[in-house]
Amino acid sequence: MRKITIDPITRLEGHGKIEIFLNDAGEVENSYFQVPELRGFEKFSEGRPAEDMPQITQRICGVCPEAHHMASTKALDDLFHVDPPSPAKKLRQLLYSAFMVADHTTHFYILAGPDFIMGPEAPVAERNILGVIAKVGLELGGAVIKTRMQNHHIIHMVGGRAIHPVFGLPGGVSKALNEEERKEIEQIAKDSVEFGKLSLKVFDDIVLKNKEYVDMIVSDAYTHYTYYMGLVDENNKVNFYDGKVRVVDPEGREFAKYAPREYLEHVAEHVEPWSYIKFPYLKNVGWKGFVDGKDSGVFRVAPLARLNAADGMTTPLAQEAYEKMYSTLGGKPVHHTLAMHWARLIELLYAAERLVELSQDPEITSPDIRTIPTAVPDEGVGIVEAPRGTLIHHYVTDERGVIKKANLIVATVNNAAAVNMSIKKAAMALIKPGKEITEGLLNRIEMAWRPYDLCLACASHNLPGYSPLPIAVYDSKGKLIKRFPEN
Amino acid sequence: MKTLVLGLGNPIFSDDSVGFRVIQGLRDKFSRPGLTLMESSASGLGLLDLITGYDRVIIIDAIKTEGGQAGKIYRLNAENLSATRHLASPHDINLATAFELGKKLGIALPQEITIFAVEVVDVTTFSEKCTPEVEKAIPLAVTMIAEELGGD
Repeated sequence: MRKITIDPITRLEGHGKIEIFLNDAGEVENSYFQVPELRGFEKFSEGRPAEDMPQITQRICGVCPEAHHMASTKALDDLFHVDPPSPAKKLRQLLYSAFMVADHTTHFYILAGPDFIMGPEAPVAERNILGVIAKVGLELGGAVIKTRMQNHHIIHMVGGRAIHPVFGLPGGVSKALNEEERKEIEQIAKDSVEFGKLSLKVFDDIVLKNKEYVDMIVSDAYTHYTYYMGLVDENNKVNFYDGKVRVVDPEGREFAKYAPREYLEHVAEHVEPWSYIKFPYLKNVGWKGFVDGKDSGVFRVAPLARLNAADGMTTPLAQEAYEKMYSTLGGKPVHHTLAMHWARLIELLYAAERLVELSQDPEITSPDIRTIPTAVPDEGVGIVEAPRGTLIHHYVTDERGVIKKANLIVATVNNAAAVNMSIKKAAMALIKPGKEITEGLLNRIEMAWRPYDLCLACASHNLPGYSPLPIAVYDSKGKLIKRFPEN
Repeated sequence: MKTLVLGLGNPIFSDDSVGFRVIQGLRDKFSRPGLTLMESSASGLGLLDLITGYDRVIIIDAIKTEGGQAGKIYRLNAENLSATRHLASPHDINLATAFELGKKLGIALPQEITIFAVEVVDVTTFSEKCTPEVEKAIPLAVTMIAEELGGD
């Protein structure tokens, strides 16, 4: 059996491994997506005051600390049985919208963009952000950097610290906003809306006007018929911060809608001997293996899943873009994994528009930002939409609020089964007997999982750029026949 | 001269906390005007945001090399960095790429970047403690960086 290893997964935070096994005929027999095991979270959490969890859990991930901070803070609201005042909820959403703008910007331009802007098989030395700005122009590069920096500045202002906020408390937040800060945020928000519009135009010009790309997006190699999951508000519109979790079936019909506390009634985890990750699936459909369809409990999360699971967006420009995507791709739901990039940009615009709305909200500078908890803590669940999909924090404490049990289901884990399926399907479509396995071909396989914006939560910051990142190909005897990079 | 000493890593994943721990060590015994000591979990573009505006940057981070000896400290400079950038360019935006991007965009970047990297063992177990060999390397790294700063 020939074995192909893509290790570690390139352009991805943390470290993972993809192994592709060929049969004697040279066709793909199976593939495995594996991530390193993170050990000891439960033990690490036990005995700590629950209030520490928003600070601790956001350290798990180098990519989306703000999402962990927010899910954890919401779990504390539930744990201490306290409802934050409206301005506090709005401040949380303000920070979260800025985070979404920054994070989606990074993913599209740094991780996803090069495949499309430079081309899936462009020389590797060009298929990166430097190639992108060489092609699209310095001005756009500058706008990417500026948008990220400004939105991180909002996170700093509202959250008390850049990247790792310290403002989430059970029952509210620790800091109110003053008028001067509000004005500054309003201006950044308006700039971000323009940037969101520009990004959709870039996508339109570079991807949608290129028939080869559109054909690739809708091709079977990158398509899966699955259930979709995402948070929605009371009108079934996309919401990143709060609401109920809605699940639609592969035909787009509502299958379930549940409150955070009920998640265990809907999601179960399948165990495979070769993976540290447990694969969540819809309990009320059942685990049927790594397969598509209505009878399979596999579901997907992340931007496209959120859009599929909702009935629309609450802001006008994002709603317009939402309608355009579905009319272009043949209605709801869209099953094409690569359309996740489009959905991500629609969400970027939505987050920017929300930022404008919130920055103009008369309540946003209110000092009424905390409801002091008085009830005895016991158990709490908090769910938010991380940029990469539904994120669940669940804590159980004693009567003093000391953690007894902690469980997290992160977005990448929610998508784990689908990611495996996506890799296998693309590999099967692309690797053919007698066809040379080029670096470009391997990149096309990587493109099957890159839309999920995987975050392996490993956050091990081995010095960036120091170690070469090898991709090795072995023949049926296990002998190395190709290695990338070559030295 | 505005100098930044930046400890990179993750404080709750065992040896990945080494960068943070060294900054802590420096903070206990070292302070002077124009010197900023900072911990961060940033990478890629996030690093660019952090180093902008400084004249000189010293980074301390964990590293895992094939067959590397736990606790060994490497001192790397911009030359090593460009060499590695050449090796690793196909992949995630690294410090060198971020640096090049910054230059292209006319961002005020430091004249001098030095990197201290500590060879680590375990970066996947939730713990605020380092493994023994890495723990031993911390005071040594603190001394090395203090010496590096000494000539200002």
